[in-house]
Amino acid sequence: MKKHRTRSTRLRPSRLLAVVLAFGLVVAACASDDDGDDAEEAPAATEAMAEESMDESMDDEAMDDDMDESMDDESMDDSMDDDMDDDMDESMDESMDESMDDESMDDSMDDDMMDLSGTKVTVFGPESSEEEAGAMQDALDVFAAHSGIEIVYTGARDFSDQINAQAVGGNPPDIAVFPQPGKVGDFAAENWILAVPDEVQAAIGAQWPAGSLDTVTFGGTLYGVPNKTDLKSIVWYNTSIFESGGYAIPQSLEELQGLMVQMIGDGVTPWCVGIESGPATGWTFTDWMEDLVLRIHDENIYDQWVAGDVKFADPRIVLVAQQVLDIWNTPGMVYASGGSIAATPFGDNGEPLVAGDCAMHRQASFYAAFLPEGTSVGPGQEVDVFYFPALGVKGNRPVLTAGTYVSAFRDAPEVWAVMSYMGSAEYAEARQAAQAARKGGGQSGFLSANLDQDLSVYNDLERSFVEILQTASPARFDGSDLMPAAVGAGTFWTEGTSAVNGDKSIAEAFAAIDASWPQ
Amino acid sequence: MGALGGALIGVVIAIGASAALFSGANWLFDLAVDRWRTFLAASCALVGALVGAVIAGNDVAGGPLWLWAVIGAAVGAAAGLAASLLGTPSKPRRTRLSERGRLVTFLGPSLLFVALGLVIPLLRSIYLSLLDSRAEAWVGLANYGEILTNPNSLDLSGWTEIFTSRLFYAALVLIAVGLGIGMAVGRRRGRTMEALPGSVGPIAIGLFVLSFAVFTTLRGTVINNLWWVVVVTGLSTALGLAAAVLADGVRGESVAKSLIFLPMAISFVGAGIIWRFMYIARPPQKPQTGFLNAIWVWLGSLRPRTTGAWVAVLILALATVLLAGLCAFGVRRRQTAFAIGAAVTAVPLLWLIYRFLGPGLGGSVPGPTGEPIAGTILFLQEAPFNNVWLMVVLIWIQTGFAMVILSAAIKAVPSELIEAARVDGATERQTFWNVIIPTIIPTITVVATTLIVLVMKVYDIVKVMTAGNFGTQVIANEMWQKAFTELNFGLGSALAVVLFLAVVPAMAFNIRRTQRADA
Repeated sequence: MKKHRTRSTRLRPSRLLAVVLAFGLVVAACASDDDGDDAEEAPAATEAMAEESMDESMDDEAMDDDMDESMDDESMDDSMDDDMDDDMDESMDESMDESMDDESMDDSMDDDMMDLSGTKVTVFGPESSEEEAGAMQDALDVFAAHSGIEIVYTGARDFSDQINAQAVGGNPPDIAVFPQPGKVGDFAAENWILAVPDEVQAAIGAQWPAGSLDTVTFGGTLYGVPNKTDLKSIVWYNTSIFESGGYAIPQSLEELQGLMVQMIGDGVTPWCVGIESGPATGWTFTDWMEDLVLRIHDENIYDQWVAGDVKFADPRIVLVAQQVLDIWNTPGMVYASGGSIAATPFGDNGEPLVAGDCAMHRQASFYAAFLPEGTSVGPGQEVDVFYFPALGVKGNRPVLTAGTYVSAFRDAPEVWAVMSYMGSAEYAEARQAAQAARKGGGQSGFLSANLDQDLSVYNDLERSFVEILQTASPARFDGSDLMPAAVGAGTFWTEGTSAVNGDKSIAEAFAAIDASWPQ
Repeated sequence: MGALGGALIGVVIAIGASAALFSGANWLFDLAVDRWRTFLAASCALVGALVGAVIAGNDVAGGPLWLWAVIGAAVGAAAGLAASLLGTPSKPRRTRLSERGRLVTFLGPSLLFVALGLVIPLLRSIYLSLLDSRAEAWVGLANYGEILTNPNSLDLSGWTEIFTSRLFYAALVLIAVGLGIGMAVGRRRGRTMEALPGSVGPIAIGLFVLSFAVFTTLRGTVINNLWWVVVVTGLSTALGLAAAVLADGVRGESVAKSLIFLPMAISFVGAGIIWRFMYIARPPQKPQTGFLNAIWVWLGSLRPRTTGAWVAVLILALATVLLAGLCAFGVRRRQTAFAIGAAVTAVPLLWLIYRFLGPGLGGSVPGPTGEPIAGTILFLQEAPFNNVWLMVVLIWIQTGFAMVILSAAIKAVPSELIEAARVDGATERQTFWNVIIPTIIPTITVVATTLIVLVMKVYDIVKVMTAGNFGTQVIANEMWQKAFTELNFGLGSALAVVLFLAVVPAMAFNIRRTQRADA
């Protein structure tokens, strides 16, 4: 017994070493965590990712050339040329003068751009496809080249969840690109994001259609700057099916209804529908709902519904859901490439639309990015677009829009400079040029409602989108994106999916949505 | 590279520092037994140096850090030497002091890390679970009430349907058969009930089927989690045991076991994606690309009353006759289990014959004009059995784990025991059920409890395959969704606590079991 004890008190060196090693590793892990907080590690990773994705598409030199060329051709004035490293302020002024005459913007840009080289700004957003994220980085690189700010964009498909975790965890990016103004409101309420400074607001506000900033203004304070716009009230259609069937473009909702019946009679499947989207499954359903609330009812009911004053269980809202499901559940109405609507990823509908498995697909303007490569889009091409029509008896032209807003987490001149740029016409033009180039010159999928942008960067179809956007009456922002996150990014999706999948009745599902509305 | 180099240097420094700490402490406490005065002086000097460092660090007085540390050390050493003049404690007391000190030095850091990483977060989660969604106002147990009353998490409303479901009757029949056999054999041996494979087997399967009857009727997140625990734990353990037994000692054992163990190497997310492809359905008019639906639809193409179907029926009938013969043989030889095995095997064959003759087998439904079209199974969308298809993935992964552990246990059964049983005239089967199984029961419990803990926390598979839609939500995914998608920290924390409480009993049991095994 005694012998045993003395042995145990004197640790053998080998065992001691093992203990020490384990402890050391733990300490090191903790220590490196402390060292490399927000500023160090994450950007290193994102940078690597960004570089990788760039390398995949084209090497840097070639891209620069491409960019310069396309910009010279299309729209950009001398401000985007390379010879302006030394006196960019001047040329920037020139470009500004041409595109807009807001003095304060020039000043703020001048001030900011003097001493910002060597700083770094991280941008995090939901756009993650090679074309979208790549074009985003390209457009940011244009600004980076002039300002000397290193700007790194990272995109993630599950941005919504990620940004929450990052904000709660205390290591957010410098700038986040929010697809949901409701979320901007949530983040503003938590004091996670910063109010937009007056000079940025003054510079950007005038460039956007009236009301664009209202969706991200909370308690009289602006928390975001519009970055891009999506037009949601459009239908992509297969032109050869319309041609061979002799179908006319429906000018009213009644005509569209008739067209659907006619198509089924002819053995044509009218719609491609899919609502699967990973954790965001169900948002396609919410879009249909919103578009039809705007059409069957009106914008006032829409606003009250979005604000929570008209409940989901309200018969008017239930009626709209019933309409949507009646259409979707009609035999022969929907081609769902995943076997059922709820099982079909929303991005998988481009191929069957082009292949002629269905005739129409109601999806936002960005869907161009999801069409199979090489698809020609536009009047007389493989796929064309028509406006999702309103009720003929009403004669109005409601448009559902969506878009992204950028908000800042860090108060620094370089962050505000990048933010101003991301809301500017220059950004829209650079992004459009880059994205169109990445898409091989076709439909880019990018769209901006910026009033100052040079529309010549868009093709005819895209220009018609912009015109619809800038002249729509009434225009309403995607309601689910405005609702509180618990509903707009929560139960409206999940319960809507249950209703679409037939797991619940509309009444049950909508009662659950009302119950989840934050008090 | 710079970051990596810095991290490596950090690791080296941390290892060095902890090596110094631990070997220093070891050396110090060795002194306590043999050289009390040195020990006292050294430890007091150490404390003094620390006090000096604290004084300097808090700017209580001026002067560099090292100066204060040296002064503190000197004062401490002097005080220690002075104290040692007062006398030396007895040797047993010194030994005890040395052991205690070592205990604290070596255990302290790990306890600190456990507290920081586990205990404090746990307490904070419990605290948060009593607050509202913004973690501001006290709401008591309202979040727990929400979990228990929200029909999405716990819906017991359909409980009466348990007693009308076919599964329930099937379970009753199986349990009755098991009890009947047990009692019949028992009466012959003078006992009321005899536990033998022929009776325990049907009862166990009956209870399993009964659990299905319950879990398909009662719905909700909590119920889903329980269902996962029952099915995955039960089947993984049973299949793992079967694989371990069947592969034991046969040629190619290592190859067979390696194959079964392989899925363990695949991450849950990877497995989820793989199985999504297995389950995928395509529209009826298209070729099926999902493995299971391809087979299912092919079976459906064997319509009743076609040549293929007749051939199949003929083959199945021959097999059934063969099994009936075996059953009769078993009855005549009084080999009850053998007869029952043959009879049980014949049941699915009879069912197949029925399907071939009657309603047809596999995925095929009459189309609008009467011709058969493919009837696919939406494995992931059709509630409630989509849960089972998700569980299959985890069973596929975890069977290998159970098999490896149980196989080791079987090989560790002392050969004396088995030989003794053989000498006493026990058959292979009797040896297995009455010698091997009782010997490895502790291992089976450990495997089962380990699986329970793992399955309770299932998250990745559900997240990847259905994102919790279609009635497949589980607590862990719900927790993430509530806390980080909907920013409802109160409810998210409450779900975390529920999960924790559910796991604790299994953990405690497992740890106690392991400790007893060590003792």
